[in-house]
Amino acid sequence: MSQQLIDIPEVELMGKGHVACPGCGSTVAMRFVLKALGEETMAVIPACCWTIVDGPTPSSVLKIPVMHTAFETAASAASGLKHGLDARGEKNTTVMAWAGDGGTFDIGFQAISGAAERNEDIIYFTYDNEAYMNTGVQRSSATPEGAWTTTTPTKTPKNKPKKDIVEALAAHHIPYIATASIAFPEDLIAKVKKAKEIRGMKFIHIISPCPPGWKSLPNDSIRLARLAVETKIFPLYEVEDGWKYHITHESKGTPVKEYLKAQGRFNHLTDADIENIQKTMDRKWKMLKMKEKLSLEEMEVLD
Amino acid sequence: MEQIMNETMSKYFNPETTASIKVMEGTHAASQAVKLARVKVISAYPITPQTSIVEKLSELCASGEIDAEFIKVESEHSAMASVVGAESAGVRSFTATSSQGLALMHEILHWAAGARLPIVMVNVNRALAPAWNIWVEQTDSLAQRDTGWIQFYCESNQEVLDMVLQAYRLAEQVMLPVMINLDAFFLSHTSEPVALPKQELVDQFLPPYNPKYKMELEGGHAFGGLAMPDSYMELRYKMQKSMEEAERLIPIVAEEYDHIIGRHHGTFLENYRVADADYLLMTSGTISGTSRIVVDSYREKGIKLGMIKVRTFRPFPTKAIREAVKNAKKVGVIDRNISFGQSGIFFSEAKAALYNAEHRPLMNGYVAGLGGRDVTPETISEIVDHLIASEKGQDLIWIGVKK
Amino acid sequence: MSDIMDLKNDQTLMAISTGDMSWNKTGSWRYMRPLYENKIPPCTVGCPAHEKIPQYFALVKEKKYKEAWETILPDNPMPGVTGRVCYHPCENVCNRGEYDETIAIHNMERFVADQNLDNHIPEYLVSKEKREEKVAIIGSGPAGLSAAYQLVRQGFKVTVFESANEAGGMLRIGIPSYRLPREILDKEIDDIKRLGVEIRAGITIGKDLPLSNLQKNFDAVLIAVGAYKSWGMQIPGEELKGIRSGLDYLKQYNLQEQATTGKNVVVVGGGNTAIDTARSALRMGAEKVTIVYRRSRAEMPAVPEEIEDAKKEGVQFVFLANPIAFHGNGSVQEVELIKMELGEPDKSGRRRPNPVKGSEYRIEADQVLLAIGEVPDLEFTEGQFKLLHDRLNLDNGQMTSQKGIFACGDAANGPIGTVVDAIATGHRAATAIGQYLRNGKVALNGKMESGVPFDTINLDYFVNEPRPKEQQHHPETLKENFEEVNLGITIEDALNEANRCFSCGTCTYCDNCLIFCPDVAIHLDPVKHEYIIDYDYCKGCGVCVHECPRNAMAFEEELKWNK
Repeated sequence: MSQQLIDIPEVELMGKGHVACPGCGSTVAMRFVLKALGEETMAVIPACCWTIVDGPTPSSVLKIPVMHTAFETAASAASGLKHGLDARGEKNTTVMAWAGDGGTFDIGFQAISGAAERNEDIIYFTYDNEAYMNTGVQRSSATPEGAWTTTTPTKTPKNKPKKDIVEALAAHHIPYIATASIAFPEDLIAKVKKAKEIRGMKFIHIISPCPPGWKSLPNDSIRLARLAVETKIFPLYEVEDGWKYHITHESKGTPVKEYLKAQGRFNHLTDADIENIQKTMDRKWKMLKMKEKLSLEEMEVLD
Repeated sequence: MEQIMNETMSKYFNPETTASIKVMEGTHAASQAVKLARVKVISAYPITPQTSIVEKLSELCASGEIDAEFIKVESEHSAMASVVGAESAGVRSFTATSSQGLALMHEILHWAAGARLPIVMVNVNRALAPAWNIWVEQTDSLAQRDTGWIQFYCESNQEVLDMVLQAYRLAEQVMLPVMINLDAFFLSHTSEPVALPKQELVDQFLPPYNPKYKMELEGGHAFGGLAMPDSYMELRYKMQKSMEEAERLIPIVAEEYDHIIGRHHGTFLENYRVADADYLLMTSGTISGTSRIVVDSYREKGIKLGMIKVRTFRPFPTKAIREAVKNAKKVGVIDRNISFGQSGIFFSEAKAALYNAEHRPLMNGYVAGLGGRDVTPETISEIVDHLIASEKGQDLIWIGVKK
Repeated sequence: MSDIMDLKNDQTLMAISTGDMSWNKTGSWRYMRPLYENKIPPCTVGCPAHEKIPQYFALVKEKKYKEAWETILPDNPMPGVTGRVCYHPCENVCNRGEYDETIAIHNMERFVADQNLDNHIPEYLVSKEKREEKVAIIGSGPAGLSAAYQLVRQGFKVTVFESANEAGGMLRIGIPSYRLPREILDKEIDDIKRLGVEIRAGITIGKDLPLSNLQKNFDAVLIAVGAYKSWGMQIPGEELKGIRSGLDYLKQYNLQEQATTGKNVVVVGGGNTAIDTARSALRMGAEKVTIVYRRSRAEMPAVPEEIEDAKKEGVQFVFLANPIAFHGNGSVQEVELIKMELGEPDKSGRRRPNPVKGSEYRIEADQVLLAIGEVPDLEFTEGQFKLLHDRLNLDNGQMTSQKGIFACGDAANGPIGTVVDAIATGHRAATAIGQYLRNGKVALNGKMESGVPFDTINLDYFVNEPRPKEQQHHPETLKENFEEVNLGITIEDALNEANRCFSCGTCTYCDNCLIFCPDVAIHLDPVKHEYIIDYDYCKGCGVCVHECPRNAMAFEEELKWNK
């Protein structure tokens, strides 16, 4: 008798009792990703919130095999695991790296660049909560401009823009890159399923609200993940082979203010600051649309 | 002379167990061992003077002579992390590095050992920068002392090959990784005849690796997660217990290798004219070969000099050293390495090993040949003369430093 | 090497997790508790009969049309009638109206009723317990029928007295068949009769049988006689031939299938009766029909769609004008009008019309039909009851000033003038009578309130979609054509409309709460078909409550639950 708005697989590979904070976006992300990937999946988790969330030995909240690794080794360890499984003749198992933004944008960037260039047959997920949250909210290169963190106090908030990790990965010409939001489960799951079927390196960037780090309400996590998309701050799109851009959800263009005002980490922003962010996001969106248009044209030429 | 050569050859290169004898560099000996060990995943990053291992293995993988996945990573850190990944899948993995590369791996060396992954790595001992220096020195590997890796030091290319095979046998029994060290250039780029054992005998010696606990879908276990204070210490206790087990197994593995392949390089130590010696040199790596000649020349002069070649650094051969020095008056340790603020590293370890021993000889620590400087018979004679003349032990004596 | 310790098989060597985290009861972290709590939607409140609209919509979504119909029936036995003629106040308060367009609730109601023309009100809706008390109901209009139905459901014996030869009251007399086909009306009345309601037609209380007789022979009496008496306009010339009450005109046609109709007809009034009269006159052969209304279009109480249809059919409108005299030689020939202007709002909230001095003018007419409101004809009560504004004055329990005598519909004070109000007050009266007969006391529920304001709907889960257009049949020549004009909506439209409904405060099992739970703490019980929150693990983040599209959950302090 269910009248679902959202159609997602029933399989549940994340168990109960994890120690994530209430309203943690990354747990919802993990849940959706595992629903999409199914049981034939192994996870490589470097140092990040999920090191803790998964649970202390001898317990693990995930019903799939997990290999914890050092902070900067998600991509390299996952590469090795995939080759090990291949060598063992177990070629159908999906190996996923599951890293935070710190482990991806910063300390793990070299390893992911290496894995991307080698076109390793793994899916690399970054659940992006936009700071070093596990250590208590320090800035990362994924922290957006203007945000407070404990290392960018409100008097001197972060004054550098968020690293565009998707563009960085696109420059590696890997087969598949996608952005995803936990507020759009069907889109997220479709992308993960698509990635699973593609051989070579896949990178999926998931925006993952963090109530303590964003100073937002726990019950707002899905709404913020949705607003990030609808405000064009975090557009949902795919990049195939490094040049085929495809926007999977047309952002509504909700004013960025609505997103920023719901988060304490942006409390100090003035109207002028917000206006600047709005302009930046509008420009980025416009450029993304142009890239999509150009790649469509180019694909037609190829046809 | 020819007869002597033939005798030596047949003793060293048992024709019944040998597939072929080839003249090769130490790096190639390592590569051939990787092939014989049926390694499944290789991941490595080139660094002088290890580079020819990476090249040779690439060639062997490309030609199909080795049926392994070769991950050509972008750094040594990733090399070690990816073999950690591969070995977690329960397959035999290999990597090789040197110096800076080893230093970069440091964090993951701890991981490999803590995760109880029986990885085997060849490290070509090379000095650390700055200043840039690609020549031999052991500080790189000795600095990894506390990572939980078993460490062997080789004197010949044959020993390199044999020890890589024994390393897998040992590692996969005690579930700790093993590092096989060889001197930059003196072994890595020096050609020597190397006997390649028959594959079927190697297979007999080294059965396929299949650990019970590995990354596999069935069971869905998690590895290496958080361990609270109530459980972490036990894990560390077990690493030490495994090291102790390794100490028990090293002679057994060597014996078995001898039994099947027909070659024995000694166990923890190779003792040369030790039994009646008043004075002992303690060496490792290629300095040992030079020292043997010096020992012989002093013996000819009637001076009772002997030599202990140390083959294992971890587990440290405390019992073997105590036994070897029990009749000696003076021991001089030659270190091609230095722990700044202390002394040569073998020296301080050996000295510590003897503190609780019944017989404690006079001990001198000599640091020589850093950064690839030649250690000649003359250099060693200078050390021996100094040792004989010493009335009191000295921890740190620099040999050949221009002042 | 048998003496080698086999560490390969030693699980305790390394940090291995072989168990799950279910031992970690994170529910202890919670200080806020989510729970499922359906709330009353605005439409249910707005509907005088309080129909359970989202509930029957949910069944339409599943194409369970019979179940959907049976969900309406406890509140209204005649959805086929109301689905056609109701002025649908439910739609005025529909939250969807603040988003795009209100849900076409009345179309949905008709759709559901029309899917069940071959079904009869199921027996399970009637109490198995039968009672001895007898109730007399005077009048078989929507109020009387509704009350009769509800009383029968409670197990009482009910007799309805109807002065006309057929039951239906205003539904039959006042509403033209192009709006309410008689087979629909007959079907729904028949359904009520089937439950055991006795209808004694052709008996006029006060003439054929005195009220006192009923008081004597029945345990309770319900007066539901409606309002038929017109006071007229009380202006000069009203006695001229050709001037009559619009309702009389409709009654004559509807009962006798003919009524004298002029060529040039003026209808006075702005309610549904005025529109019905005008459109009927066109069908009866009038060449020109003009509605004269003293206020503007915006103030017209008639259903807007009906006004539109009247326009489409050629009815002309004169707004802001009021007759002050009729002129003619024996028969009416002219209507003298005075222009009006709108002043301050009156008690009804509409702006009061004031005559503009010196603006008198005349229009021609050979028939004038007055549809300016009626009051009940209470002669049969012989003045026994207290009145208020010409209607029976009731207490809070639908009782007149005499014990055991109740009233409802247009005969009494309270909400009047529409079918659904009649059905609702009939239901209330039946409830009151039931309570009275059981324990001598009446305590009816107070005013219903909605718990779902518009801003508690999570609009992120809805997209703009248009309201369906009802299909219509406008015959080329209206004359003699009383075929139904409105044809209802298609199945596709109905299914779409059911999905378009926010279902305010009413769980639709959309699974959002379950899907977004970061702690996997919500499950759907497959047997009971309800969501279960596993409070052992729920951390109380509130995501489920927030992501509920329709405010069907609540979020309460844990302390309240731990007391």
